Amino acid sequence: MKHLKSVLTLAIAGVATLVGGAALADTGKLLLTGGVSSIDGAAGGGLTPWAVIGTNASAGEIGASAFVSRATSQDYSLNVMGAALGYKDWLEVSLARQDFDASPAIALNGIAPFGVQPGQKIKMDVLGLKFKVAGDAVLDSDSLMPQIAVGLEYKSVDPGSISSVLKFLDAKTQGTDLYVSATKLFLAQGILLNGTLRYTRANQNGLLGFGAGSPGKDQASWVPEVSVAYLLSKNIAIGAEYRVKPNNLEDLGRAAGLGDALAEDAWKDLFVAWAPNKNTSVTLAYVDLGRIVPGITANRQQTGYYLSAQFAF
Amino acid sequence: MTKNLLSPLLASLLMVGVAAPVFAQSATAPTASMATAQDASLYMALGETAGLTKLTDDFVNRLKADSRLSTAFKDANPKNLKLMLMQQFCNVSGGPCKYEGGDMKSVHADMDITKTDFNALVEVLQQSMDANGIAFTTQNQLLARLAPMHRDIITIK
Repeated sequence: MKHLKSVLTLAIAGVATLVGGAALADTGKLLLTGGVSSIDGAAGGGLTPWAVIGTNASAGEIGASAFVSRATSQDYSLNVMGAALGYKDWLEVSLARQDFDASPAIALNGIAPFGVQPGQKIKMDVLGLKFKVAGDAVLDSDSLMPQIAVGLEYKSVDPGSISSVLKFLDAKTQGTDLYVSATKLFLAQGILLNGTLRYTRANQNGLLGFGAGSPGKDQASWVPEVSVAYLLSKNIAIGAEYRVKPNNLEDLGRAAGLGDALAEDAWKDLFVAWAPNKNTSVTLAYVDLGRIVPGITANRQQTGYYLSAQFAF
Repeated sequence: MTKNLLSPLLASLLMVGVAAPVFAQSATAPTASMATAQDASLYMALGETAGLTKLTDDFVNRLKADSRLSTAFKDANPKNLKLMLMQQFCNVSGGPCKYEGGDMKSVHADMDITKTDFNALVEVLQQSMDANGIAFTTQNQLLARLAPMHRDIITIK
């Protein structure tokens, strides 16, 4: 029911995008300055939100965007679709639906009778709000002042048959991340920097729920996320991201005699983003997601590729 | 393995990314115009007076032809606009020219100019610099000297 509602919301956003594309064709951001769509839907890099307001809408305008993304690693894959509305380059509303293939979780049945089904997917919906509070990331090239935005991401996860595992971990199925981001384009050098501080208790971004039973960490904590990008041309940027995560579950796993089976690592990526025209961007990245429930994935680092396409008006 | 390879690479990328612009900024502080008075390298890279004359001629022709901006520039005397822009670009890039036009605020005060208009003008300038074979890194240096003028040029905030 909950998902039906969000699918409808996404459909509406999709229609808004199409209508917006027709009605707002003369919206006017400079290429790539609205960022790309992060996995949580907010405009930014691939893994982290930036202070820029998404879509092609500049000051005084309303714009819309839609995106699809896919990430794969040794043991997992993630599909995301979503949409965003940008209002007067001041407010951004975003929606994302994540579909995470958690097939390796079947191995958890060997630890306890969790009843995890084969090929289980974990679905998560993310509603994002972002407000620009100060600065201009692009045009204030004579000062060090960045563009600053504050935002929230409300996340609701549907773990399917993995819900028994989340209950065991005492992780909640809903959570809200709060963040503040500062983004600065050093125009003369062609270098963009973003720093985001996120207040969160999400496990693996929320795909493994929020918080943990004792002695795991149930309290939210501030974690930093950093992006750097270099403009190779007007429409191609390369860069890197580093996103620290809270690692709430490891101590709980350790106390249950599972060693570091539930450890969570930082996420990293190296990306190239290309805007073939004003309304389209394509992002390709090499991602290193660290360990994701290493107890069921032979302690492997989850590395792989990320591909995302965004259409913005 | 991958993690070990990637982490130092990322760390050094981040450090370079953080350090380079900060040092670059503090080296050229406090203002662009002071920096340009001492350093004509951007002016040279733009082809000096001859290059800038060619660029601004082409730029104004493109402004007059651009569907988004032609209305705004239809009454502008092209010869005068080309000269004023040449002087301005020459001046901000560290060249020996004196800008004889009005200040940006009073020149634009009677016009309705949005940020989208400003960005459209930036795009046309980029097209013109592309057409004149100006390297992307040089383009960004000139844009960085001009972009702060948005505060005086954009009248509809």
